[in-house]
Amino acid sequence: MSKEQRLHPVAILFNFIKGIRQMIFLIIFGFVTFREDGLLYYILVIAAILILGLVSSILSWYRYTYRIKNEELRIEYGIFIRKKRFISKNRIQSIDLTQGVLHRIFKLTKVQIETAGSGNGAEVSLQAVKFAEGERLQNELKRGKNVDLEQEVIKPEFASYTISFKRLFVAGSTSGSLGIIIAILGGGITEIEQLIPERFFETTVAWVIGLSIFFIVGLAILVLIIVWLFGIAGTMIKYGNFTITKHHEEIFITRGLLEKKQLTIPLKRIQAIGIEESILRQPLGYVTLFAEVAGGTIGKGDDAATVLFPIMKKTEVASFLAELLPNYAIQEEEWTGLPKRALKYYLLRSSIFFLLASIVVFYFLPQFSLLPVLLLLAFIYLGYLRYKDAGYQVKGELLLLRYRLFSKRTMIMYHNRIQSFEKTQHIIHRKQDLGNMHISILGMMGTGSHYFLKELDVEMIDQLSDWYSYRDV
Amino acid sequence: MRKPPKNTIAADAMKAWRITALIYEVIFWIAIILFAIVTYYFELPYWYVLIAVIIGIISTYLSVFVLPKVRFRRWRYEIFEQEIYIQHGILITSRTLVPMIRVQHVDTKQGPILKKYQLASVTISTAATTHEIPALLEENASELRDRISALARVDEDDV
Repeated sequence: MSKEQRLHPVAILFNFIKGIRQMIFLIIFGFVTFREDGLLYYILVIAAILILGLVSSILSWYRYTYRIKNEELRIEYGIFIRKKRFISKNRIQSIDLTQGVLHRIFKLTKVQIETAGSGNGAEVSLQAVKFAEGERLQNELKRGKNVDLEQEVIKPEFASYTISFKRLFVAGSTSGSLGIIIAILGGGITEIEQLIPERFFETTVAWVIGLSIFFIVGLAILVLIIVWLFGIAGTMIKYGNFTITKHHEEIFITRGLLEKKQLTIPLKRIQAIGIEESILRQPLGYVTLFAEVAGGTIGKGDDAATVLFPIMKKTEVASFLAELLPNYAIQEEEWTGLPKRALKYYLLRSSIFFLLASIVVFYFLPQFSLLPVLLLLAFIYLGYLRYKDAGYQVKGELLLLRYRLFSKRTMIMYHNRIQSFEKTQHIIHRKQDLGNMHISILGMMGTGSHYFLKELDVEMIDQLSDWYSYRDV
Repeated sequence: MRKPPKNTIAADAMKAWRITALIYEVIFWIAIILFAIVTYYFELPYWYVLIAVIIGIISTYLSVFVLPKVRFRRWRYEIFEQEIYIQHGILITSRTLVPMIRVQHVDTKQGPILKKYQLASVTISTAATTHEIPALLEENASELRDRISALARVDEDDV
């Protein structure tokens, strides 16, 4: 294809809306200021601005052309100052198709093309083209890289997984970390209520008490249920129709009910694979699979890592990985955990805040000491879990790390993906032959992702550093 | 147990650190004096000034006289063909391994204080982290930079 092409005319609308959105505050502010006198002038000015915006949207649509020529994507744009951007095919890292609600009405798609260059925002973003055209672009720009034409025709069986509705529902109903926070907050508010000067709240409290305790409890439960339902809806919208497909050296992910997203992840840009078991999902045996991918841009996903599959049974992970990412397929084996003497550090770290809080509350407000004590116990238990779950495993070139903040995470990474290895010890560590390990890999936006295992046996760290070291000791 | 890295940094580093610390301490002392004046005029309790002065004395003693020496003694580095090995830290010691093939670029840096003693620091960046070797003799620093950059030029692994 060498003919110059324009975006779909709906792009004018998108541009226009975007322009208005940027000015919305100005418009509202102007209205508030001029509503008394000079309203007429105000309306004239606004009308002029709108017309100007429309004209410039049309012009910029008219002047924006793209074409593929000489193995390059060539884009020319700019109303007065012509700008040209050529991107050669083999520099393109990924081509993502995203369909917002408006796009879907007109059967359009947004095409985002990214190169390895860092920075925020995609290198090229075609606001709106016909969906078929988007797919054609994707194929055209992909081809001639390493995908063989012949193979394309034969269409070998691609490994593919789709999320089932039932699973999606489970994912939604267990996504509710928000619900927990609100529950805790709710508990906190009833406590705070007691602190506020009585006169101020007398009437309100009397009213609330008048409603009877059952009503309040009912209301709280209702709020929780609503939040929970929102969690389910949010998950459904975000991960509905989640499909992951492996295609030669790339992984394709399609997801979203309202806004449809299609992501491409080149296998060789995957830095590590992670398995996350959140507190709510762990007892049910469900996990989330994600990948640390190098590069990528801000705002591409709302998450720090790319979700490979929102929810699956822990027992299915092995076969999933074996099919999609055979390099990362693992069998569960013996984990090397932390020595007993590390436990106290973990308990102290996780409980110190609530320990102090409990003391303060106990001292000043002894009648409310139950809540901090309960939280303290919960966090001591969390500290114990953190201690118990931390560990590592080395298998040839693979390093497996396991740790817990709230969710338990297992990271699988290759030796050659690790950017640096650090061992740190403070004075007490040295006396007890303990140490912290810090491993860095490449992450999104070039900032790197960092993993820590704290209070490992020093001998184990030294073994690991020998494993990591490129030099023979 | 691995041996610590062999090379120490330049001994003049201590002087440079002392001067830097001194500058900060002077600023801190000025603040204390201002605080004392305010206290005098508004007849606030003198306890706080006393505490501030004690903190000032201790921190000056530590950061100007004690810490540079300890820090210098702990700072070690060694450059191998395959990797860079760095040790530093006063209370918390850390040892870092950076493989040569992960090094993206090396810089040398020199501020006015380092320049006074003909010193420079070397910063080694990987795609995910940066590591600094502070206060080497100028010629050592640039030699080190060139060497690391040459060693890092081994054939590109992916990413």
